[in-house]
Amino acid sequence: MTEGRIYWNPVLETLPQEKIRNLQLKKFKNIFAWAYDRSKFHRSLYEKAGIKPEDIRSFDDIRRVPKVEKSMMRDIQKKDPYPYGDALCVSLEEVSEYRQTSGTTGQPVYQADTWQDWEWWAESWAFILWAQGYRPADRVFIPFGYNVFVAFWAGHYAAEKIGAEVVPGGVLDTQARILKIQEVKATAMMATPTYVLGMAATAKNKMDIDPASLPINKITCAGEPGASIASTKSRMEKAWDANVYDHAGATEIGAWSFECTEQPGGLHVNEALFLVEIEDMETGEIIDEPGRRGKMVITALDRQAQPCIRFDSKDVIEWASDPCPCGRTFRLIKGGVMGRADDITKVKGVLLSPAAIEEVVRGIDGLSDEFEVIVDKKGDIDIITLKVELMAGAEDQKKEIEPVLVDQLRLKTNLRYNLEFHDYETLPRYEVKAKRFKDLRKKH
Amino acid sequence: MSEKIDLKEIDRKIQEIKEAAGELKQMAGEFPALERNTVRILASIKMLEINISDIVDY
Repeated sequence: MTEGRIYWNPVLETLPQEKIRNLQLKKFKNIFAWAYDRSKFHRSLYEKAGIKPEDIRSFDDIRRVPKVEKSMMRDIQKKDPYPYGDALCVSLEEVSEYRQTSGTTGQPVYQADTWQDWEWWAESWAFILWAQGYRPADRVFIPFGYNVFVAFWAGHYAAEKIGAEVVPGGVLDTQARILKIQEVKATAMMATPTYVLGMAATAKNKMDIDPASLPINKITCAGEPGASIASTKSRMEKAWDANVYDHAGATEIGAWSFECTEQPGGLHVNEALFLVEIEDMETGEIIDEPGRRGKMVITALDRQAQPCIRFDSKDVIEWASDPCPCGRTFRLIKGGVMGRADDITKVKGVLLSPAAIEEVVRGIDGLSDEFEVIVDKKGDIDIITLKVELMAGAEDQKKEIEPVLVDQLRLKTNLRYNLEFHDYETLPRYEVKAKRFKDLRKKH
Repeated sequence: MSEKIDLKEIDRKIQEIKEAAGELKQMAGEFPALERNTVRILASIKMLEINISDIVDY
């Protein structure tokens, strides 16, 4: 019955862009007025900028609304009510969900949601799962250490919402999770790319199980950009013989984008629930045309307890030029999230994106999935060390692999590296978000 | 696609359910089971509004 229905919401997802823009403007006015009326922080921020709700009449007006940065959230949360601070728009009694950011970029931020917000989280994930081919007949395994982080909690609730069956793989270890997938014949899974690859390696090397023989036919990734990096996606798809789809979201924003089954080389922005603006990283100019990278400024148009209005996410993205063959009118961002403005750092005067290194390493047979990049300084000179692992059985291929690696790195990143080849399984392994990039220059 | 769906009629029914749920919440008094379950119903109704009512005029 549901198999032929390709859209979660056939009206919203095919709405002409002009109508989407009208809807976004209407919703922006509402959420702005909501925050202005209920949050001390937002009222003060907007009064200082001289903007009242009635001043928002166009997208040009929206662009005058001050942005909010994560560092501001940390200051906000030093104030009452504890622990959320004065950006909270509801009473503490109305808060039903606590989550926090992972603290990758510093002190974690606490996130409050009402039950309505939590329904909204599940709704935004329902768009994702439906677009990625999840249906009520699916049995979804979630190998996620259910805790204070939001990502797969919302995926769990959304899978239930669309009518699928959910098997929570919470406190099991990796081998037990693989056995459970086998036992219950799970058809779909959600995990970080690091863990998807790690599970496959465990199945093969420690359990003598080929993950491709398991019934998983689709995997949704979150938390890292890997599923939008062609070589990483290809490794995951080959290992599991499954379609791997990317999604991007964040605790303080929501699940704002998704790849569909067409795998168009980019992510659809859910423009019914979010307003995404791309800002030039140097001039601050808003970029509407395809092909120019900038950092994302995003508004969650319906999130109420702790609103996300013009949040400076620092995710680096660009609009794609072509529409998606799936028929959705939600615009695509090309290649997914390319990195964070914070991570894309200058080394030897050249912009270095860790994602570009990942694409090279995982594109070379004979190298394992793990690697580490360390940027340091010797005198005034930047030194980049790239540690890679040779696969078990490929120890004698170093001579062939090294020149390919050097060439590809120079081609894709325009930089030279000190290369270190390590034995298989000697670099650190990660279960959730990997920390493969270290910039030690600030320590000097 | 949208021509085949009567958004106005769907929205009318959503508003009816919303009104009834709101009335139930008002009647909850010392009846937490009634109040808390209607809070959840109202949250689900909000999702119907996001999916349907917000675009009824487009």
